[in-house]
Amino acid sequence: MNPYAWRTLLQRTRHLWRSSLQLRTVAITVFFSTIAVTIISGYMSISIATNLYEARKAQAIAEARQATSSAQELFDSSVATNGTIDVEAVSQTARTTIRSVASSPGETQFAILRTPGQSTAVVMTQSSTAGIDESVISSALREQVAEDDGRLYSQAISLQNGAGIDPGLVVGGVFEVPTAGQYELYLIYNVRDVQQTLDFVQQTLLIGSLLLVGTIGLVTFLVTRLAIGPVRVAAETAEKLAAGELDRRIPEKGEDVIATLARSFNRMADSMQRQITQLAALSRVQQRFVSDVSHELRTPLTTIRLAGDVLYEQRDQFSPIAARTTELLHTQVDRFEVMLADLLEMSRYDAGAVELDTEPTNLVRLIEQSIEAIEPLAEQRGCELRLVAPGGHFEADVEARRIRRIVQNLLGNAVDHSEGLPVVVYVDSDSDAVAIAVRDYGVGMDAAQLERVFDRFWRADPSRQRSTGGTGLGLAIATEDAQLHGGLIDVWSAPGEGSCFRVTLPRRRGSSVAHSPIDLPPIDAQPIDLLPIDRVAGERDA
Amino acid sequence: MTARILVVDDDAAIAEMIGIVLKGEGFEPHISYDGAAALEAFDTVKPDLILLDLMLPGIDGIAVCARIRETSGTPIIMLTAKGDSTDVVRGLESGADDYVVKPFNPKELVARIRTRLRPATPSSSERLTIGDLVIDVTGHEVTRGDTSISLTPLEFDLLLALAEKPSQVFTREMLLETVWGYQYKADTRLVNVHVQRLRAKVELDAETPCIVMTVRGVGYRAGAAR
Repeated sequence: MNPYAWRTLLQRTRHLWRSSLQLRTVAITVFFSTIAVTIISGYMSISIATNLYEARKAQAIAEARQATSSAQELFDSSVATNGTIDVEAVSQTARTTIRSVASSPGETQFAILRTPGQSTAVVMTQSSTAGIDESVISSALREQVAEDDGRLYSQAISLQNGAGIDPGLVVGGVFEVPTAGQYELYLIYNVRDVQQTLDFVQQTLLIGSLLLVGTIGLVTFLVTRLAIGPVRVAAETAEKLAAGELDRRIPEKGEDVIATLARSFNRMADSMQRQITQLAALSRVQQRFVSDVSHELRTPLTTIRLAGDVLYEQRDQFSPIAARTTELLHTQVDRFEVMLADLLEMSRYDAGAVELDTEPTNLVRLIEQSIEAIEPLAEQRGCELRLVAPGGHFEADVEARRIRRIVQNLLGNAVDHSEGLPVVVYVDSDSDAVAIAVRDYGVGMDAAQLERVFDRFWRADPSRQRSTGGTGLGLAIATEDAQLHGGLIDVWSAPGEGSCFRVTLPRRRGSSVAHSPIDLPPIDAQPIDLLPIDRVAGERDA
Repeated sequence: MTARILVVDDDAAIAEMIGIVLKGEGFEPHISYDGAAALEAFDTVKPDLILLDLMLPGIDGIAVCARIRETSGTPIIMLTAKGDSTDVVRGLESGADDYVVKPFNPKELVARIRTRLRPATPSSSERLTIGDLVIDVTGHEVTRGDTSISLTPLEFDLLLALAEKPSQVFTREMLLETVWGYQYKADTRLVNVHVQRLRAKVELDAETPCIVMTVRGVGYRAGAAR
């Protein structure tokens, strides 16, 4: 498997771990119960092994003692009245005796060895059972045994058994052969049977442990499933409710705590649905009303407009009072018309009856046109309009009408609040987004004003004389226009330092904006005079 | 000669007011209050231009528009209370040449009317070719081989504008200025819809146009003469 596949597997596992509470619970339970079972069965296995071995050893030692004492008795009783003894003959008898005593299970072998370093009149031949490997009796053991302190010594050994090795036990004791000195008797036990018993016990323990852990895992799985199942259903239902499927409910079963959760959840969903439906109905009625009113007003307004304009054209022939009245009528009808148009646009947005109709549009060109359109007003205010466009020289997929409306609104506001200082329009773009910023150096806004600046019918200063005939809906509509494109409008402002409104739009239709190519607050702590006067051709738009 | 203009609107006040404005501008207005009357008046009055409200009792404006277009290329300007995209597009698709959104001002209305009534721009040549079509400029006639293709005056103007400068790529804004007389950028859907209508009449295969070619991201140009 290549490293990439490993990483994918690792990531998938990590994701599964994080996402599944059930998996986590089962895994943790299995992990800890494995540790517990391992400790318990390990302890059991060790103590059983010790007991088995100790018992076997005790038995072996008891046998060895009896064999040693029997041999000693035999030799002692075989001394003739003249004090002589036929050691070889007695030795023969002794071997038979020992063999009969050492009758514990398994093959028992023995060796009679003369303790080295003795000089006696007679020397008895050393003897042992056939096929014994005397090398298993270590010299350390022999030294211990030779000391003859009345005790028997034992040692665990390995016995060569064909191809394999069996565990064994050697027990040694001493006896005195009259005239021939001290001899050592070693009994060698093969304890394979003990090992076999132990193996069997351990195997049983292992299987038992595995079954136990498996059972615990399964039980945990079932229990968590039982407990998490309803929670999962609740989570899924809540998710769907949040996504707008207001009819979703949790099935209510039984009387337990889960059922209580389901019931209260459903009650909450019911009341939410009621409220939402009610609000939606209300809002529909209201939107419908606004839209109807706006539409119905249009025809009479057109008539009034036409009549007003006909009168206005002839005002020279009127008396001064009638002429002024006609002028007022004319301007106010204009204002009324703008308001109605904005209101209608807003109601269209509220009703969600707005569709984006995009076409490839050069934003810089569009802004140049918008600047041209507002130029007369700017001149009247003694305010200079500048365009700085390092980017944006490409065909963006936008609805030109809406973008123009946004730009004209921002420009109108900026000129209105410019206090005769220049207004700079920035256009820039990067690979994902294109941004337009309109910067003025006029009165600016404080924090409280900033908070409300996008609110409907809100004006920074109601008493301010306005030339663009604002309705107070301009920024609200601009925000909706930008959002329709998947973009956004944000603002920076400081009292006395002016404001900067920034529109950021995604380059591709359907995507959203994560960042803007233009910084906000704008990078002009620097004086206005240092700003580039004309637009800089953009190399960034290849 | 005074141009006769048929004003169709169910609101008596606005119809009369439009009549007053038109009279003041030297036109001869005729007024109808519903679709059926409008169709009747169209036959009797033989107007040079129709101002048509879209919301009419009985036969609605869209239907009236389509009916008139079946037999005549008389310029039609829609009066629409709704600025809604769908309504405007439906009106244009049923054959209206242009539209004004209520409330409009008299100057705007008169300017639109005059553009549609003005005689076709005097052309340098009398005969032009575009693709496999021949345009008889003075005779206002377009022919493919021996077959004559009937176009409305607007469609003729549109085709002529493209044919006169075969090497020029026209943006939608340029066409709006040349054909519709908009000085500033208006609704480019006017161009889109009418290019579609024109193509439906002049192209052999509307899927692969070779008379009115699309230049992606820019606009349109004339197909090469054959």
